[in-house]
Amino acid sequence: MVLTERMLRARYRGSILGIVWSLMNPLLMTGVYTAVFGYAFRQYYAGSVLHYALVVFIGLTVIQFFSGSTSQALSSIVVNSGLLNKIRVPFEVFPASTVASHAVQLGIGVLPLLIVVTLFSTHDVFRALLLPLPLAGLILFSAGVAYLMSTIYVYFRDIPHIYELITFFAWVTLPIFYPAAIVPEHVRRFLVFNPLFPTVQSLRDLALGSGWPDLPSIAASLAIGALGLGLGLTIFTWRRREFMDLI
Amino acid sequence: MSSVRLEAVSLWRRLQEEASFDLKRRIFTLLKARRYERRRRRVLDAVSLDLPKGEKLGIIGPNGSGKSTMLKIICGILSPSEGKVSVEGSIAPLIELGAGFDPDLAVRDNILLYGVLLGHSAAEMRAKMPFILEFAELDEFADVPVRALSSGMVARLGFAIATDTNPDILILDEVLSVGDESFRNKSRRRIESMWHDHVTVLLVSHDLQFIRESCSRAIWMQAGGIVKDGSPGDVVDAYLRSVDSSAQERLARARARLAP
Repeated sequence: MVLTERMLRARYRGSILGIVWSLMNPLLMTGVYTAVFGYAFRQYYAGSVLHYALVVFIGLTVIQFFSGSTSQALSSIVVNSGLLNKIRVPFEVFPASTVASHAVQLGIGVLPLLIVVTLFSTHDVFRALLLPLPLAGLILFSAGVAYLMSTIYVYFRDIPHIYELITFFAWVTLPIFYPAAIVPEHVRRFLVFNPLFPTVQSLRDLALGSGWPDLPSIAASLAIGALGLGLGLTIFTWRRREFMDLI
Repeated sequence: MSSVRLEAVSLWRRLQEEASFDLKRRIFTLLKARRYERRRRRVLDAVSLDLPKGEKLGIIGPNGSGKSTMLKIICGILSPSEGKVSVEGSIAPLIELGAGFDPDLAVRDNILLYGVLLGHSAAEMRAKMPFILEFAELDEFADVPVRALSSGMVARLGFAIATDTNPDILILDEVLSVGDESFRNKSRRRIESMWHDHVTVLLVSHDLQFIRESCSRAIWMQAGGIVKDGSPGDVVDAYLRSVDSSAQERLARARARLAP
């Protein structure tokens, strides 16, 4: 864990530009979606185009964190084979540090913005304080997938093409830029099986909802995160002994 | 007291095959009901070695005989399939220099990252930075990404980082031939300065003359096993004798090098 932190520091020393960019990307995409769909979908968001934009922004940060960190971590073991062949480094460091570097960007860039939005729309400090919980669930789940995918990549080098499809599937089945209400009933009930669904749900509720926060969604997000990480790490550790022969 | 001890160490490695890296092809193979067989190869065969503290061991043998693999096992990069390894003291590994750098990062950041991975603290590495850059003769290139360096420069950098320590065990895998002539002399001097009585050295080299002169003991490895273990003179002579007629030319060259 210490190694991860040091690696991070060496890698992202003073790259403020990276953090700016990590915010710019979802903001620009939010702008495009709002321009195209905002007007048509506003009726689902209390007639407010701004509300739609915020909903889209939250969804985008979640899915972009997930697909960005996991697809970068996918090759982390194989890419560092030169290093692994030279000095004794625990394999776990590489997927973890990739996800951790994305998490730092999330913490510095997106989180403050979400806090501001939450305080503005709900005037509730308690909700703002709960925001890190679903984000932690997201980070844990992404780390689990990162471990799983980097293990698979050691064996199958053509997996990135397939993984691209999987992330696209996760993207579309998550109600990010469309309201879940437009999806026909018999399809909609499957949307909740997207493992990122509770995270998006709880973040939107915290930032834009009212009344008592949606605690079950937060709990579900954290549970999925812990479960995902446990599963990913188990498979990673189970196969680790073979890595050196294949990279 | 022994500082490195191998007891009947064997290592099996999976052979890398084309099909084993492609999911689509693997599925087709399974569909065609062709048997998919994993092949394994014995890289080290019951190697036993006991190095007392301060021993300078020269390791010779043809390519693919397991020399580097044995060093990797001692470093802990590979773990043995059978047998026991015990190592006492800190190790400075110098294996295949320059392979582990991140090409997109600046030289400075690579030094930091690499040093940290070798087990030093970031503050320690920052303090050492000027000396490392100076030794590698890369002061002007500190902020240049490693991809822009020539391969000789990269090797120099690797050497400078790895030797900037005071190890108990020094592992040298063909590192005496790094860089140009002047850097080679410089690196040889640095290694000689690390060549204290209390430091255990394991050296893989095809420079038989150097092994003859500088080592206190030598082993000759062939096909994953130790063929001969003894004084450097005896082992080098036996190795040279065994190199058969098909390699007559190489032998002649080595003799020519040994002659003067």
